[in-house]
Amino acid sequence: MNKILNINLGGYPFTIDDDAYQHLSGYLNTLRKHFSSSEGSEEITSDIEARMAELLVERLDNRQIVSMPDIEGVIDIMGKPEDFGAEGFSEPASAAQGEEEYQTGKRLFRDTENKVVGGVCSGLSAYFGIEDPIWMRVAFVVAFFTIGFSLLIYIILLFIVPEAKTASDRLAMKGKKVNIKNIAKQIEDEIDNFGETISNLGNDFSGQESKKKILKALPPAEHEML
Amino acid sequence: MKLENTKAQMRKGVLELCILSIIAEKEAYPSDIIGKLKEAELIVVEGTLYPLLTRLKNAGLLHYNWKESRSGPPRKYYHLTDEGQSFLGELQNTWETLVNAVGQTTKNIKS
Repeated sequence: MNKILNINLGGYPFTIDDDAYQHLSGYLNTLRKHFSSSEGSEEITSDIEARMAELLVERLDNRQIVSMPDIEGVIDIMGKPEDFGAEGFSEPASAAQGEEEYQTGKRLFRDTENKVVGGVCSGLSAYFGIEDPIWMRVAFVVAFFTIGFSLLIYIILLFIVPEAKTASDRLAMKGKKVNIKNIAKQIEDEIDNFGETISNLGNDFSGQESKKKILKALPPAEHEML
Repeated sequence: MKLENTKAQMRKGVLELCILSIIAEKEAYPSDIIGKLKEAELIVVEGTLYPLLTRLKNAGLLHYNWKESRSGPPRKYYHLTDEGQSFLGELQNTWETLVNAVGQTTKNIKS
């Protein structure tokens, strides 16, 4: 036993099983969503409804009630939105792709990936666009012996400057625009670096010493795997 | 590289030309057009046609009239506008050039 409904599809009256009806209206909703961004979406869906009604009439012949296999058959003929998306229908390029970016400006971070002590000097170097953080370190050390309070400044910076944790932090640190392309590049670079570290370690993989180094180089989650 | 994608792209390129040609021959209603396109294996699923028709109509290349039908609600019958006629002419020229060009560049391939 099945509950039935009376519907009007594309100008034809149908008596339809409840489950078949649910399936049909789900399909029509997907279509509506698919075309919602294109001009004349109402017209497209009502044309499709009319065609589906025609196909149903052909299928039914002299039967009274539309059931699940009928709806499935008709949907197979019409196709899913992703099937006709590739053919003939060009979707407007979505604004989310490509141009989306957050302009953050340059920010000071501690670059803990290139650190000696706390990444303060390397972070400052990145901020001022100095290629090699060694010069910033030299300046700090020289200042410590001449003026004296650079150690204090270092410690203060160590506490108040945030660590560059994410890829977008690392881009903002260098004053690069934070967009999908740059983040992807940043992540690729990091993966390359990581791969290098591993292969370097692999070369002298002997004894406990190098194992400790690997443990240090791997993110915490991967410790258990070793 | 997916073969199916490339095939679909190729079909997509000529689909507009074919639809306009079918309608140019005789005023047509979507189910007629679908029948011919399916016969020629130009479309796989019927849903492809409707957004295309609406797009061509909105571009001013097609126009339709409602006509009564013996078995059911009125149907949309499409015909070409003047603009559609000249558009089709241009497409046919391009198509002929393409056929020649492709024929020439691929004639040495023996399958």
